Amino acid sequence: MLDLAIWVYAGLALAIFGSLAMVIGPGVKDPIIRTINSEVASVGVCLVLLSYNHTLALLTLIATTVVITLILLRAVSRLEEIGADV
Amino acid sequence: MVVDIVPQFVPAFFQSMYVPVLYGGLIVAFIGLMGIAIEKRDIQILILTDLAGLAMLIIVAAVGTDLAEALVLPGLVVELAETLAISEILIAREMRKAEDARSFAPMPLNMDMEIMTTAPNFISLVLIGYGIFLSGFTGGAVAGGGIVLFALSRKIRGLPVVVIDGVGAISGISWCLWIIGFLLFFMMPQYWLLSLFLAAFGLLLKVASKMGLIGILMREEYGRR
Repeated sequence: MLDLAIWVYAGLALAIFGSLAMVIGPGVKDPIIRTINSEVASVGVCLVLLSYNHTLALLTLIATTVVITLILLRAVSRLEEIGADV
Repeated sequence: MVVDIVPQFVPAFFQSMYVPVLYGGLIVAFIGLMGIAIEKRDIQILILTDLAGLAMLIIVAAVGTDLAEALVLPGLVVELAETLAISEILIAREMRKAEDARSFAPMPLNMDMEIMTTAPNFISLVLIGYGIFLSGFTGGAVAGGGIVLFALSRKIRGLPVVVIDGVGAISGISWCLWIIGFLLFFMMPQYWLLSLFLAAFGLLLKVASKMGLIGILMREEYGRR
């Protein structure tokens, strides 16, 4: 049995790595790639919540992440359609 | 000393993990805020705001116990509402800048596949069933995700106004159920089970119907030619 602390540290490392990938990662000039990169940090937060036994918070985070991704993709595609500088 | 004010029932694991998780959350917040400071374009800043929300979640989760769970749920809802509102404002501003009335295009890809019409029925059925089993806010979010998936995968459009009004009415009535359940908790504590179920299923219907409405509105917008 692995120590529970390992999962917390793994989640924190994923969250920090994912946030770096979101800010200075490859190809982040494209807003779609930046939105997809945010999922890495989100998985890290999921690991932290999981090791803390926050079941309800974990399920709600998963559900709202889907909706936020939908909203952001809709905003990006509509702004590109209008011809704005994205 | 901080240790003195921590209640006795907080497990030792949460206490030992508090400082590393707090610093991890602060590092994520710092990276996200630096990214927001560097970036110039508005939509990129909106996407990076998501990162500040994730850092907030990590810091709140470090508190541990049920208090953290009670604080995480409103934080997630506020983050969702804020992202929705700011994206609407951005789109409205850019449309006013662009002036010429350009038509909104449908989906960028023409996804005309068999699996896009058959699989969502089953997946949304499973999501709605699991959401009803969960009840409460989380169940509402899960069931609402199922309704959004179902609404977005349909090809037929032109939902009658009666249906939209009806979904809105269900949302309002369930909100009243939630308030009645909450009041009963304090007025008649002996009926706690009844008020618990009133509150849980009122909130389930409320959140699920709200997210279903968002999905229907998005579909109507994309289908416009």
